[in-house]
Amino acid sequence: MKTLRQRNIRDYFMVGLLYVSAIAVLTPLLIIIGYVIVNGISTISIDFFTQELGSPARAMQGRPTGLVHSILGTLVVDSLALIIAAPLGLGAGVMLSEYPDHKLNPTLRVLNDTLNGMPAILKGLLAFALVVKPMGTFSGLAGGVALAFVMIPIIARSTESALMTIPWSIREAGLAIGLPRWRVVLSTVMPAARTGLVTGFLIAFARAAGEAAPLMFTSFGNNYLPNHWSGMIFGPVDTLPQRLYSLAISPYKEWHAMGWAAGVVLLVFVLGLFIAGRILTRQKYQA
Amino acid sequence: MKAMKTISLFFISGLLALSFFGCGGGEGSRNGAEQRSGRSSDRVDILGAGASFPAPLVTAMADEYRGVTSNRVTVNYQSIGSGGGIRQFVEQTIMFGMTEAFLSDDVMQNVEASTGGRAFNMPITLADVVTTYNIPGFDKGLVFSSDVLVDIYMGNITRWNDSRITELNPGKDLPSLPITVVHRSDGSGTTNIWTSYFSRVSDEWRGRVGYGTSVNWPVGVGGNGNEGVAGAVINTPGAIGYNSLSYALLNDMSYGSVLNASGNIIEPSFEATTEAANIDLPEDTRILFTNTPAEYGYPIAGFAWMLVYENLENNNAINNRQQAEELVRFLIWSITDGQELSETLGYARLPMAAVERNIAMIEEVKWEGELIGKELLQDVL
Repeated sequence: MKTLRQRNIRDYFMVGLLYVSAIAVLTPLLIIIGYVIVNGISTISIDFFTQELGSPARAMQGRPTGLVHSILGTLVVDSLALIIAAPLGLGAGVMLSEYPDHKLNPTLRVLNDTLNGMPAILKGLLAFALVVKPMGTFSGLAGGVALAFVMIPIIARSTESALMTIPWSIREAGLAIGLPRWRVVLSTVMPAARTGLVTGFLIAFARAAGEAAPLMFTSFGNNYLPNHWSGMIFGPVDTLPQRLYSLAISPYKEWHAMGWAAGVVLLVFVLGLFIAGRILTRQKYQA
Repeated sequence: MKAMKTISLFFISGLLALSFFGCGGGEGSRNGAEQRSGRSSDRVDILGAGASFPAPLVTAMADEYRGVTSNRVTVNYQSIGSGGGIRQFVEQTIMFGMTEAFLSDDVMQNVEASTGGRAFNMPITLADVVTTYNIPGFDKGLVFSSDVLVDIYMGNITRWNDSRITELNPGKDLPSLPITVVHRSDGSGTTNIWTSYFSRVSDEWRGRVGYGTSVNWPVGVGGNGNEGVAGAVINTPGAIGYNSLSYALLNDMSYGSVLNASGNIIEPSFEATTEAANIDLPEDTRILFTNTPAEYGYPIAGFAWMLVYENLENNNAINNRQQAEELVRFLIWSITDGQELSETLGYARLPMAAVERNIAMIEEVKWEGELIGKELLQDVL
C-alpha cells in the first residue's frame, strides 16, 4: 500500500510531464512567430503595402518597392480557390454525413483522405495540365484550381463533422412534416450547422493561404500588378507564399529582409483566419 | 451568436463581392480588347521566364521599359532557371524564354515540327565566370592558366605553392596551404560555361568529365547556387571556386586573371567579356565561345539567350498581334537602349557582332506570315 505522500509525488510528477509536453508543443510555434516578427517588422513600411516589387535593382538602390501585388494576388487566388472548392467540398461532406449508407461512401472517404495527404505540388501539376496547358498561359485561375484541390478534402471533412453534430431528431422533424430529404438538409440541417461550416471554410482558406508549391507552375508569379484587373484571374499572379520563397533564395540581403516582412504579413493573415475560426467554434458551443 | 452571424455574413458578402469583382474585370478586359486597335494608351502584359543569371538585368530592363512606354507595357520575367525556361518555352506557356545554354538540335527540330518555323536564340547579355579564391593576405589578381585550373579541378595540384602556380605569379610568396576545390552542387549555366572551358582546353577533362549544367566532379565540395559557392570560398582559407563576375564584385571576393588562348593575361572585366564574344558568330548564334580566339577576350564567358518563335502566332501564350508586336518592340529595345543598364548592374554589353545577328533574326519574326519584325525595326532604326 502506497502512502499518500508517494501518490502525491507521482501526481505532481505526471502533471509536470504534461506541462513540459505542452511547452514543447508551444515553443516551436512561439519561436517561429517571434523570430519572423523580429526579423520582418522593421522592413514593413507604407511602401511595402503600396508599391510593386519590380527588379532587385530597386531594392538595392533604395527606390520604392513593395509587395502590394502579392498581397492582392493572394486574396484573389485564395478566394477563387474557395469559390471553386466550397460547393464541391460541401457536396462531399453532405454525402458522407447525410447519406451514411450510400455504397460509394467508403470509397469517397478513402479518396478524400488520399487527396488530403497528397503532396501539394502534385495538385499544382494537375492544375497545370487541366488549366494552364489548355489556356496557353499561367493564370490566377489555375492557381485557384490548384489551391481548391488543397481545400476540398478539408472542407469535406469539416462539413461532415459539422453536420454530424446536428441531432438526428432535427432531421426527423423535417421529414415528419413531409419535406424531401434534400430540403431537410438544405433548410434545417445546414442552417443549424452554419457556424461549423463557415469555420471549415476558414480553416481550409488559411491552410491554402500558406501553400507555395502548388502555385509555382499555375499562378506562376508576377513582379507587378497586372495591367488589367482581369489579369488577376486570366494572367500570371503573384502570391505571398511563393514570393516569400523566391525572395528567400535570392542573393540580395534587401530581398531577404522583404521576405521576412512577407512572412509577417502571411503569418498575421493566416493566424487571423485561424483565430476567427476558433472564435466561431467557441460560439457554437455557447449557443 | 449575433457576432457569429455578423462575421459569417461579412465573410460571405466579401466572397460574393470578390466574385462579382472578378466577373467585372473579365468584361472590362473584353471591352478593352475591342477598343485596343485604335487607342495609344492600350496596355499589354508580356510574360517571360527562365535563367536566373540574367534575371536582375531583365527585370531592371522591365522596370525601365515600363517607364519608357509610360506604363503601357509591363514585362513580367520570372526566374525559374535555364531548364525551366526552355521547358516552358517549348510548352508554349510563356511569350519568351531565357537560357544560358542554347537550344539543342533536338529541341530546334521539335519546335520546327510543331510551329512550322524556327526557334530563335537571341543573345541578350553575357555571362562571365571568374575564379574566386581565399588565400589569407592575397587580394585579387592571381594569374591562372587553363591547364593549371584544369589540374586544380582534377585534383592534380593540391597546394597553393605548387611550382606551376608560382611560375605564373612571379614575386608572389604563395603559402603552402592545401587547395579546397568548391563547385556548384545544383545544375547551373555557370557550371556549363566553366566546364565547357575545361573541355575545350583539356582532352583529359573532356574524356573523363565532359561539360554540362552539372557534371561528376573529380574532387571538391559542392555549394548550392552562386551564394553557396561564395559562402564556402569566403569561409575556407585555401578555397578556390567559380562565380559570375557581378557576384564576385557584389560580395567583394578575390578573383583571378586568366591567360587566354592568344597568350594574354586577361583581368576579368565587362569590356574583356564583351570582347570575347566579338568574334565571327554563326547565324543562329548557337555557339559556346569559351577559350575565345579574340585576342583580348576573357576566355570563360558565354551568352544568355532570349528564346522567341519565328512564327509568333503559333505560340499559344501569345493571343493577338498587339502582344506579338509589343514583344518584338521590347526585344529591339533590350538589345539597343536596354544595354545601357548593363554595367551598373554588373553585366557586360552585347558586342556589335551579336547585335547584328539579333537584328537579322528579328527581321524574320512573323505574325501570320507578315514580317512584323522588319516593319518594327524600320520604325526604330
